[in-house]
Formats: sequence, structure tokens, C-alpha cells
Amino acid sequence: MEEALATLTNWLILSSMYILVALGFAFLFSIMGLLNLAHGAIYMIGGYIGLAFITSLGLNPWLALILTTIIIGAFGLFLERFCFRPFVGNFNRTVMICIVIILVLQTSVNNIAGTQTLSLPPFVEGVLRAGPASVSYERIVTFAIGAALLGAVVWFVNRTKWGQQMQAIAQDTEGAYLQGINVHRISALACFMSCGLAAIAGCLIGAYLYLGPFMGDFMLVKILMLVILAGVGSISGVLITGLVLGALDAVLPALLSGAYSDAITVTIVVVLLIIRPQGFFGRAVEM
Amino acid sequence: MNTEQPAMKGKRNVTKPSIVVGLVVIIAILPLVLSSIYMLHILILIFIYTIAAVSLRTITISGQFPLAHAAFMGIGAFSSGMIAKWLGWSPWLTMPLGALVAMGIGMLIGYPFARLRALYYAMGSLFFGIGVISIIYAGGDWTGGYSGLTGIPPLLPLGTSKVPYYYFFFGLAAVSLLALYRFEFSRIGLNLKAIAQSHIAASSVGINEGWYRILVVGVGCFFAGLAGAGYAHYNTVVVGTSFNFMATLWLVMYVLIGGINSFIGPIIGTVILILIPEFFRDLQTYSPYVTAAILGIVVYLMPQGLVGLPQLIRSRLFERRKGKRIANAS
Repeated sequence: MEEALATLTNWLILSSMYILVALGFAFLFSIMGLLNLAHGAIYMIGGYIGLAFITSLGLNPWLALILTTIIIGAFGLFLERFCFRPFVGNFNRTVMICIVIILVLQTSVNNIAGTQTLSLPPFVEGVLRAGPASVSYERIVTFAIGAALLGAVVWFVNRTKWGQQMQAIAQDTEGAYLQGINVHRISALACFMSCGLAAIAGCLIGAYLYLGPFMGDFMLVKILMLVILAGVGSISGVLITGLVLGALDAVLPALLSGAYSDAITVTIVVVLLIIRPQGFFGRAVEM
Repeated sequence: MNTEQPAMKGKRNVTKPSIVVGLVVIIAILPLVLSSIYMLHILILIFIYTIAAVSLRTITISGQFPLAHAAFMGIGAFSSGMIAKWLGWSPWLTMPLGALVAMGIGMLIGYPFARLRALYYAMGSLFFGIGVISIIYAGGDWTGGYSGLTGIPPLLPLGTSKVPYYYFFFGLAAVSLLALYRFEFSRIGLNLKAIAQSHIAASSVGINEGWYRILVVGVGCFFAGLAGAGYAHYNTVVVGTSFNFMATLWLVMYVLIGGINSFIGPIIGTVILILIPEFFRDLQTYSPYVTAAILGIVVYLMPQGLVGLPQLIRSRLFERRKGKRIANAS
């Protein structure tokens, strides 16, 4: 009972975090055609900046979370203007610039915070008890933030003017230009959101699991799997695939040792990719 | 993913062999001049990674962009190391065997992957590479798990200095590069370039696209496996993390920084990216910044990679004299 409940909450939290980071990645992928390999590193640096605000400056964790989001979002604006925009449509140079970003961020973290794993202090203390079951508030709050943000992003993309402009660009960039949409401004907005979401996920995972300079590599692989399997331009696809991948990652390690569960997850993903290369929900991307 | 070849200039071909011969002579007498054992070690690593980087580029001429190349080095390294350690075979026999295992696995997965194109091929191979590494981790005592395979029999008897290893890997790299060069400029290589430009047009003139794509992956993986097996028997310890996704990205970097459109590109890229950080070893943990700076300069200023640098300078000078702009961007 206890273990099943832990697995269930773990599943929901992992899924919501994967989806948060993957949605940001999917925005850049569908709007700018950008395979942002540095997204994992941005997620990682988000956690570390949150940690710096809380431990070094002694800020309230919630204030730190908001400040981190804004700072990493602004960093995203910088990246969009100087690192991504000059190389739109050039796969090779995009890969190179992403490696540069990863190198700079990881080396900075290694030198400033060290290579050992750290963790953020919990955002809330305490445990919710209901009869025999107990769930820590930490888990509930993490999942609640994740779910609320997902709802907000879905609302933003579907119901606001900017969100609809993003969809228009994702469908047809030149068509969007012809309709008078400022593609660069919308790309910058997407980058801001993308990096901000990654930063929030970094802080939450930093408090829920751990912080390490290489946590981004793990997350990058997960979101690549998620976005490629979901296909381009489908938010509901990302949600469903995220739940499935989260379930694999929450349930398999409880049954098998870590390396075996990784191998099984990857095998499933490769088989699914071969069955349906263009993704299960969206459309294929031409590159 | 532009992998077209610029046309060869007939006039300059005359001097090419002499440059190659000169380089070979310089590399051959280098150990006599160089006394530092550490420097020889770095040069040996450069030979090994040159084989891997050039073989990666050979796959890309067919328009495929594999992101699992380090994993194939790992397959070669672990299969050769495991056969030599557990069955007691001679490393001289297991090295080509490891390369053949990598080639076989590459061609086996090449069959289902032949229906994936461009980005989807890259992603599929990426996930495959991650799968290989997790299987190595899950291998228990056979592969050494997370701590890696130790006690691999060395290629040359224990206590041998670095110099024989240096000449062995120099020879291995020279033979491999020659083979890959002949392969690329053969009829098969031409067919592969045709597939890269348009797989539909290539199929319509009778090129069997699927078979050629599997073939080139097999050839590329053979040399990756050879490099990995060589590394295993040189280092005698191999760890799964040396062949993970980031290692693959480094191989991709070696190719891209040198210039993916020319044969010499990956060689230059490997030398620059392994050698330059060594000159900044005093910076210790800050030395990745140097690498990042080199990469940044190349990505912003040299669209064709380091190979395009002389041409870039020439066109800049020419452009200034003539007073008109000549597009040199890709």
C-alpha cells in the first residue's frame, strides 16, 4: 500500500516534470525548427540558481523560484537572439552552438558549486496523513505546481493571441510572416517560456530528487524521447507520451535494478520509433 | 544536413601527395624528438579518435547523421576486451573481431533504421546508443557494470613503453584513413552522395538506397569498433561512460569543427580539439572554457569549419580589393 502510493505519486511528479521541460523543448522545435540540445543544461542551471538564491542570499524559496524563472527566461531571450536566431535551419551549426552552451554552463557549475550532488531545501515541510496512507506535502505541492503550469501553458497556447500566433508559426512560418505576425518576437517569447519552464522544473526536481552538474544529460534524453515519440505540434501528444514515459520510469525501477529498467525503456522507445517514425500524435518534421 | 562535396580543384591536386608524405614523415619522427610520455599518450588518443571521427563522417556522406558512434566504439571495446579477458584469446585476434561485432550490430540495426530519415535517423540511433550503454551497465560481472571492465590484456607485453604503441596506432590510423578515403572516392561513395542529395532520384536510377545505407553504416561501425577495441587494449580499462551520448556528441564536434564537407576536416577537428586544451592544462577545471571559445569562434565565423578558413581569408581579402561583397556563407 505504502509502496504503491509512493510509486503513484512518483509517477505523477516525474510525468509532470518531464512534460514541463518537454513542452518548452517542443515549442522551440515546432516554432524555430530548433533541436535545442542545451535544454537539459538550462534545466540544470535553473536548479543551481534557485539553490544559490535560497542558500547564499537566504531568500524565501517561493521568491527564489520566481526570480530564477525570470532570470533563466531572460537568459533564454539572450540565447534566442545571439545563439539560435543566426543559425535557424542549419542543423550542424545549431548542434555546435548548443554544445558551446552546455560546456559553458556545466563548467561554470563544476567550478562554482562543485561536482558533488546537492539538493534544494524542501519548499514545504510536513506529511499529509489519511488513515494508513501518508504523502509528504512536498510531493503534493510539486505535482500541483506542475499541473497548474501545464494548465496555464495549454490555456496560453490555445486561448491567447500570442499563443495562437505561436501555433500559426508552427504550422507555416512563411504564412505567418505574410499574416503580419512578428515571428522573431514570438520566437523570443517561446524561448522565454521554454527556459522559464525548464528552470521551474529544475528547482522542483532539485528539491524533490537532487541537483548535479550532469542531471541535464538525463533529462535531455527523456525529453528527446518524449518529443520525438509525440510528434511535432501536438501538446496533448506530449501530455500522453509524458505520462507513459513517467510510468515506465516510476514503475520499472521498483521492479528491476536501475540499468535493466533503462535498457527496457530505451528498447521500447526505439521499437516505437521504428514502428511510427513521424510520432504518434503530431506530424513529421522536414529537416 | 548538407553533406555535398565541393568540386576538387585539379591544379592543387599535384601538391597534395607531397603534403601527405611530409606529414607522415613528421609524425613518424615525432617520438624521437618528443620526450614527454604524456604527450605521446595524447597523440595516441588523437590517432584513435581520428579513426572514429573520420568513420563517422563517412556515414554522413550518405545523408544519415548517426548519434550513436561512440556506442559502436564501446561495442568494439567491450566485445574485444571481454573475449580477450574471459576466453584468453590474443588481443591481435580479438581487435578485428571486436570491429566485426560492431559492424555486424551496426548492419543489423541499420536494417530497421533504413526507413528512418534525417532527424528521425539521428534520434533513433541516439536512443540505440543509450540502450547499448545501459546494457553494458546491466551486464554485471561480464562487462563490469558501472565500474567498467578492468584487467583487459594489453596489446603489447606489459612494461612496453609508449613508443611502440605510438607507431602501432599511427599505422592503424594511416591504414584506416586510406581505406576510408578509397571507399569515399569509389563508385560506392558516389552512389552514397547521390542518395544524400535525393534518395528518390537515386532510387530511380537503380541505386538500392536501403542496401547502400546499411553498407555505409557497416563500414563506419567497423572502423569505430576497431578504434574502440584499440583503445580497450591500449588502456586495459574501459568504462561505459567513455562511450555515452556526450562522447558521441564530442565525436560529432570533431567532425563539425573541422568541416563536415571534406575528408581532412575531421582529422583537423580531432587534432585541434584534443591538442589545444592540453596546452591550457594549467587552467585545470577551467580548461573547458578554452574548448568552448574555440567552438564559438568556429561556429560564428567559419561556416565551413576550420577547413574553410584559408578560403574564407582569401575571399575576404579578394572582396576588399574588388570592393564588392562575395557571399561566403554556406
